[in-house]
Amino acid sequence: MTEQSQSSSAETPSVLDELPGDLMMWVLIISELLVFGAGLGAFLGVRITDPEGFSAAQDHLFRAGAGLNTFVLVTSGFLAALASRAAHLGKVWRTRAMLLAAAMLGVVFLIIKGVEYAGKYAQGIGVETHPFFTFYYLLTGFHAAHVVFGILILGIVGYRCAPRTVEVGVAFWHMVDLVWVLLFPVIYLLR
Amino acid sequence: MKDPLIRAWIGLVVLSALSTVLSVAVAHGALSGAMVSVGGALILTIGWVKARIILEQYLGLAQAPFWRRGFETVLAFYMLGLLGLYLGG
Repeated sequence: MTEQSQSSSAETPSVLDELPGDLMMWVLIISELLVFGAGLGAFLGVRITDPEGFSAAQDHLFRAGAGLNTFVLVTSGFLAALASRAAHLGKVWRTRAMLLAAAMLGVVFLIIKGVEYAGKYAQGIGVETHPFFTFYYLLTGFHAAHVVFGILILGIVGYRCAPRTVEVGVAFWHMVDLVWVLLFPVIYLLR
Repeated sequence: MKDPLIRAWIGLVVLSALSTVLSVAVAHGALSGAMVSVGGALILTIGWVKARIILEQYLGLAQAPFWRRGFETVLAFYMLGLLGLYLGG
């Protein structure tokens, strides 16, 4: 390779350089989206065998509560995005405040989800009550577990507070947000 | 309102409220027959738009056109698949 071509290849940016954040975080995000995507596809596939039963089961869900949780999570994502921006501007305490607020809204999400699960438990609705609830508990429970991990990650990146680290942690939180905006209409809203 | 993050957040809140109201209306019998399916298709479309907003503005793909096109193409086909399964039910 000539000196000129070596210089040219060093200067040509790869499409991977265009990707915001860390490549491994995107691999994780895509993996998670594939898992949840397959779950939602399976849910709608099984629904074809019993649409009336799925609609009747869905009537036991509190749609407005899930709508409130959507507001909580997208607002949390907004605060996390502001935290990432503040981190790149070198505003450490603003970054930490935004991450803390985002994490607190994550806790609010989990509390509302806990109340929802408690309501189902009080009605005697479990995983085996109907295939709808098998998917409901599996998908929303797995998502809630990601919210728990996301809160921990926001705490860790807030402690370290380096711009790159914050960006990667916040990307995980946005993935949790993204999964919810797909899960919410399919599980809670579609009739 | 010039801040794209604020616009994205407002868009997500408004669209979430819209889809919730639409679903509650369907559940209370405001729509019937084929209109229920139309309402469902609209709810899925709103979910698709919300996912695009998160990818572009929250996850920053608006600044990465190559990856944005890739993600949005796959997402569009996936949402079409979900729509097909929904209408098949």
